[in-house]
Amino acid sequence: MELVPAVFPFIPLSIVLPLLGIVLIVLLEEKFAKWIALVFSGAVFVLSLVSLLYFDFSQAQKVQFYQSITLIEELKLSLSFGADGLSYLMYILTTLVSFVAICWSIRDHQINHRLKEYYTWFLLSESSLVGVFTSWDLLVFYVFYELTLVPMFFVIGIWGYKLRLYSAYKFFVYIFVSSLFFLLGIVSIAVEHYRQFGKFSFSYFDLLQNQYSLAFGLFLFLLFFIAFAVKTPIVPFHTWLPDAHGEAPTAGSVVLAAILLKMGTYALLRFNIGLFPEVAVFLMPVLVLWGIATIIFASWFTISQSNVKRFVAYSSVSHMGFVVAGMFLLNKEGLRASIMEMFAHGLTSASLFMMAGFIYNRLHSFNMQALRGSIRFMPVFAVLTAITGFSSMGLPGGSSFWGKFLTIMGAREYTLQLALLVLAGAFFSVLYMLYLLKTLYLDVKEEGRLVHFTDVRGFKLVAFLLVVVPMLMVGLLPFLFFAFFDAHIDLLLRMVLKSLGGGLWN
Amino acid sequence: MELKDLIQIEIPKLALFVPELIVLITGFLLFSLDLIYKRLSHTLAISVSVIGYTLALLYLVFNFDLTGETFYGLYIRDSFSSLLQFFMILLTIILLAFTLQYQRFKRSLYGEFYYLLAFSLFGGMVLASSYNLLLIYIALEAVSVSFYILTALQRRDFTSKEGAFKYLILGGLAIALASYGAVFLYIYAGSFDLRHVLHFNAPDKGFLILGLVFFLFGLAIKIGVVPFHFWLPDAYQGAPTPITAYMSSVGKIAFFAPVIRVMPLVQEGFHNTWVLVVGTLAVITFLYGNFVALVQKDVKRMLAYSSIAHSGYILAGVSVASAIGLKAVIYFLLAYSIMGMLGFLVLAVLERSGSWENKLEDFDGLKYSQNFMAWVFAIALLSLLGVPPTVGFLAKALVFMSLAYGKLWWIGILMIVGIGVSTGYYLRLIVLMFMKERERRVIANPTGFEKASMILMAASLLILGILPMLLWNYISPTSEMLFRR
Repeated sequence: MELVPAVFPFIPLSIVLPLLGIVLIVLLEEKFAKWIALVFSGAVFVLSLVSLLYFDFSQAQKVQFYQSITLIEELKLSLSFGADGLSYLMYILTTLVSFVAICWSIRDHQINHRLKEYYTWFLLSESSLVGVFTSWDLLVFYVFYELTLVPMFFVIGIWGYKLRLYSAYKFFVYIFVSSLFFLLGIVSIAVEHYRQFGKFSFSYFDLLQNQYSLAFGLFLFLLFFIAFAVKTPIVPFHTWLPDAHGEAPTAGSVVLAAILLKMGTYALLRFNIGLFPEVAVFLMPVLVLWGIATIIFASWFTISQSNVKRFVAYSSVSHMGFVVAGMFLLNKEGLRASIMEMFAHGLTSASLFMMAGFIYNRLHSFNMQALRGSIRFMPVFAVLTAITGFSSMGLPGGSSFWGKFLTIMGAREYTLQLALLVLAGAFFSVLYMLYLLKTLYLDVKEEGRLVHFTDVRGFKLVAFLLVVVPMLMVGLLPFLFFAFFDAHIDLLLRMVLKSLGGGLWN
Repeated sequence: MELKDLIQIEIPKLALFVPELIVLITGFLLFSLDLIYKRLSHTLAISVSVIGYTLALLYLVFNFDLTGETFYGLYIRDSFSSLLQFFMILLTIILLAFTLQYQRFKRSLYGEFYYLLAFSLFGGMVLASSYNLLLIYIALEAVSVSFYILTALQRRDFTSKEGAFKYLILGGLAIALASYGAVFLYIYAGSFDLRHVLHFNAPDKGFLILGLVFFLFGLAIKIGVVPFHFWLPDAYQGAPTPITAYMSSVGKIAFFAPVIRVMPLVQEGFHNTWVLVVGTLAVITFLYGNFVALVQKDVKRMLAYSSIAHSGYILAGVSVASAIGLKAVIYFLLAYSIMGMLGFLVLAVLERSGSWENKLEDFDGLKYSQNFMAWVFAIALLSLLGVPPTVGFLAKALVFMSLAYGKLWWIGILMIVGIGVSTGYYLRLIVLMFMKERERRVIANPTGFEKASMILMAASLLILGILPMLLWNYISPTSEMLFRR
């Protein structure tokens, strides 16, 4: 991979700015905390938009804005940041959603104590998430990957709902322990690099050159896969997710679902397929079927929920199933589908969680039955949720359409049966989303209580618009987004093809 | 052979020995002061100690590159001993910032505290810089005997006496085993010098193995390796808390030093046996330590078990007899000495609050009344757990790396299990401190010195995690040097 040095330190600045915000928050009074957070996350968002002007789309396979500082020469451990198309898309999603989360928090009723800490955690999480998606040193990647746990742990545990302690605990333990396997994998391939080339290295570009025997590659692949399967999550490793998402405050759920889950799928794409293409090919049938099974099972779980937040959480698992299934189809449509779905789900899940939070503020209940018809006197809110709901179920023009459509196309390239299976998965996800919309719009409730409902406005409207507008963009102008990652997909496919000796599906 | 060939008079190069000498003189000075004054003022004792140690530290810093052997090869100064001694002295100085208030609170009258501290520090420094079994034996005694007394220093406290008693009995056993080991090694090679012993190539290796096994078992008791650990939780719990902090940091560095010195020498010949024995001990140690820590209700005891678990992690690195393993081990040892000490020192300060008993319930909502202490403790706990970007994470990553290097996947995966279990108790404390509602006020007022020391230690946990080269650049050449020997 070629490296293009940075003209301006966009990425390091995006990591450092939120940290500066934290310093200010700690030093100043509590009442300023939210505004500082807003300003700093807004600044990072603007920064990422400005950097868009400098991003060279014609060379999206190259790592641009590259900067590197060596920490330990002997181990070739270095802080190296940069973004190729895929990283870049995720970077923009991160800055966008972090800003949305803070916009939302400003008027959230749930956030009424320990404000300094609250905004500190959100800024820390933004900083470390940018680090995750843009670092090219595996150990540094791991540091950021783990660092994202700490803010969420506190956010869930302090500002969450009833079962917050249990959920925070479960969240941390599941992900922390599974990532230790990933750590073992990282150091193992660094050592393997030493065996093959005579020096240690944690740099992604160096590690791409490693060759593994199939058995050893399989072992390493699994070490990586355990971590990301839990993080993504894939059924049956998903049980931490409904708890964490269900109990977290709205903004926490938004960040969790929209970005934190993407870390898992991003890493699957970047590391599991990138570093071990042979093994990915070898395991392809299993993983694709596993992905589809995730879609179907999670859809069933979703429909059976009575708590709307857990409903949305389970629907996230099912969407992640599309990402995984698409990814491991290992053809152009599948990979495109997977990345599109990652981005699209980031937006729809953020919007759905905000919807749940908004209704909770009015009704003080997450119970599906209590929601019946709750949307009647809030026209703007109704429009926003309609767009989100239809986008999420994969209606053409909505953001998830491309994820689902392209996955089916990718699957059809192999066999008709596989495509039909994916189709069945897509059918189930339509089912639960329609059920949610029906509950919100069509079921009748005594109107006396509803008349007093105020519509969404102010910061909350901004937050909604910030995700709904890109949602429509993804749906209607998908080629804008393909430009980010098509080059990367070609690169990946070339790696896969190179290793394709006797794949099982050709 | 003439007599002069047998006896070579060597003029000791005292320049190599100055830091130890200063510490020893400080010890005797404190001893005399204690004899002169019936009731030694704590302030005076602390001032004398701090001045002495600081002098020793400054000498070390300015002569860091000083190397050589003296006392007929008994004593060696190289970068390894300098590095370890630097940390031991520095941590002792930091510890002294915490003793005054604690002693006042406990109404302790004992001046012994300070000179025993000096003598044990002296012992530890010697332990870090010798290959000679005899000298290691003596230094081991110097450290241990001081520790027995220090543990028992709270005469009115039952647990203190119990802990000291257990420590004494098992410590005696350790010394006995170690001396047996030394004798067998002498029979094998005709020398007390480990370098000579381990490079000696006799056809019959029976005595070598017997000697090494006994010697290592002796040290294993001191380090707290399961199944030789029984004294440790009781002694750690019973001892005055600053002493516990001291034992878990300086004590650990001191006792691990000879093990680490031996590690590079044991490579040829019985490499596989070494890996198997040490690796198995390591696995048992960290699994046991973590599982038992999980069910503790007393936080001090919990940290004691966590200390056992960390001995296990370090030992896992020791089992990989390679340069990368050695680097990982030294990094881990020094990292642990800071975070382990910080953990216990926080308890030492909190104990000054009236009804504090180190129970889990005491930590409920600690954040509300003791914001500063809660944060410091949380950083120490996160580092012990190994959450990035703390130094504890990097230390564990390095141990993982050396395990991968040695292809010891089974230890690596079991270590993940161990760390996984440990999330249980470290996180529980954090949850209690930050997420439970306040139930009662905890009044503990750390003094300025104490606050500064805690900030320093907490910051160093983060800084060494983010900028590892600060320490690595010393450790790496040191390890290479030890391996070339």
